[in-house]
Amino acid sequence: MGYPKVFIGPMVPPTHGDTSILDSPELWGGATIEDIVNYRMQLVRGMYKTNVYDANCGGRIVDMTREISLCRESPDTEALFTRKPTSRLVLDDSVQPMGPSAPLKNMDLGTLKIDHRLDRAYSDGDLKASEAVISLHDQRIPVTRINRAFSAGVFGIEKNRRFVPTRWSITAVDDIVGKELREEVKDYPLINEFRIYESWRLDNRFMILMMPMSWKYELMEAWYPDTVWNPRGKRIVIYASHEGYKGRSKYAEIGGCYYAARLAVGEHLTGIRRQAAICIMREAHPGYIMPVGVWNVRENIRNALSKDPRKFDTLKEALDYSSTRMAIPVSRWIKNSSLLKDALYQKRLEDFLVA
Amino acid sequence: MFNAKAKSEVLKELIDVVSTLVDEVKFNVTKNGIGVKAVDPAHVAMVDLSLEKSAFEEFKGDDSELGIDINKMREVLKLARAGEIISMDLDEDKNRLVMSVGNIVRTMSLVDTAGMSDPKVPSLDLPAKLAVRTDELRQGIRASESVSDHIALISSPDGFEMISEGDTDSVNLKLPKDLLEELSCKETVRALFPLDYFSSMIKAVSSAESITMHLGNDYPVRLEFKIADGKGEVKYLLAPRIESE
Repeated sequence: MGYPKVFIGPMVPPTHGDTSILDSPELWGGATIEDIVNYRMQLVRGMYKTNVYDANCGGRIVDMTREISLCRESPDTEALFTRKPTSRLVLDDSVQPMGPSAPLKNMDLGTLKIDHRLDRAYSDGDLKASEAVISLHDQRIPVTRINRAFSAGVFGIEKNRRFVPTRWSITAVDDIVGKELREEVKDYPLINEFRIYESWRLDNRFMILMMPMSWKYELMEAWYPDTVWNPRGKRIVIYASHEGYKGRSKYAEIGGCYYAARLAVGEHLTGIRRQAAICIMREAHPGYIMPVGVWNVRENIRNALSKDPRKFDTLKEALDYSSTRMAIPVSRWIKNSSLLKDALYQKRLEDFLVA
Repeated sequence: MFNAKAKSEVLKELIDVVSTLVDEVKFNVTKNGIGVKAVDPAHVAMVDLSLEKSAFEEFKGDDSELGIDINKMREVLKLARAGEIISMDLDEDKNRLVMSVGNIVRTMSLVDTAGMSDPKVPSLDLPAKLAVRTDELRQGIRASESVSDHIALISSPDGFEMISEGDTDSVNLKLPKDLLEELSCKETVRALFPLDYFSSMIKAVSSAESITMHLGNDYPVRLEFKIADGKGEVKYLLAPRIESE
């Protein structure tokens, strides 16, 4: 079985009451890896085999799966499985860990509390998926809820609607919103100084360097030995992707985290109505024992940007400070960074104006 | 006042040249033609373009400024076949440009030019001057793009060299003096440039068969070429990278 055949279905906890935290990464800011595993192991994923193109006409389970995705609170859900759920944790670099799963035989839903904003986008068969996503993000619907609905195929021109595999839907939403915000950012004046923002969580260190230059963006990730992307290595490896003023046309080498971080940066810059060149450095230290999904990157960046930055007059001062906070020497970051090299070495035409 | 007719390819060439650096641009119209000066958002490159009155099929203009949204202009140009005449008429009262292609009339609102000041052009004394065939440069760029993100341009009394060095691979394009259309260079000069800019500038050259380059040691490069059958001229200026700091 493979695409366009997919499994869809609800994620059902064995308890009643408010279980929203189990699938709301936006609320996991203070959580440890153990907490996250614990949340995810409580959700049994019902698996119902369908075709992505049957999002609009796939029958009862398809309809109910879509309805759940439109709710502002999860409805009481009763699910009947054909066998005992497997008890394992499925890990992915983009998607939050998935707990037990079992083939779904039947399901019933309690009262639905539909989110009227999502429902309006669903009801509009002429609204493009990208426009729906942008407008919902604008109305402050959490990104992970937009993902869920996107994945359930509720957005877009009616005849084009289909189910979207979860990991694709996450990057699609991050990319669509991030691009929109980036274009808005380009209309704002530059920041006046160099800024550094930080966030440390789950043994990940994030450092965001903002430079007073027109929009450019780079995410670099350093993986320590024994972390996800460097499982058997002896040395730290660094991966990087970047874009210039006009964005990029190829999928970022480093994957979905690139788009998740760019979205969070875009939210901040549009919020303060300023433009900057952004260089993000991430050190994934050995305590980061398993991938938890790109929400970790998105939330770390949001967390960093919610705090007051340290401000510097020159790039050199900013980099000197960063070297006291990051374990990897600045010179190694520079070597891997297209943006830092550019900021350090690329001249501007003004440099050649005779005073 | 501005009222002109031009072949679609003349306008297309103009837009291709400008759009490598900016999305919005100011056309300075005078009674003699159109001039454009623009700097890219990162202030790394500049274009200075002039298109004579004679490049147009018909041209009437006096001093005015047109704020053009490049993407809109492209949409209009896509409607035209090769050789087709496009007419442009400035409607000053409504601040819009009325363009017609065949039987289509497309009105285009103009962008506010208040914030678009003319960039200052650095006056540079660049000791080396050489003319290189466009297709040679294109091929050299194509070879370099997968290797590195910057490129060294070197001029010596013996010829021209373009070198791109990555971590593991490198590309070298060497054109001895007899393969150059022009060379005036007393001593070797060298400067390093961002390949993405250099490449999109060279790719914007559509009709000129050769490009004149002015180079200096760690100085900006000036690229000059003709457009519109010699009735227009483009000067690009690109700032270097200097890594020895």
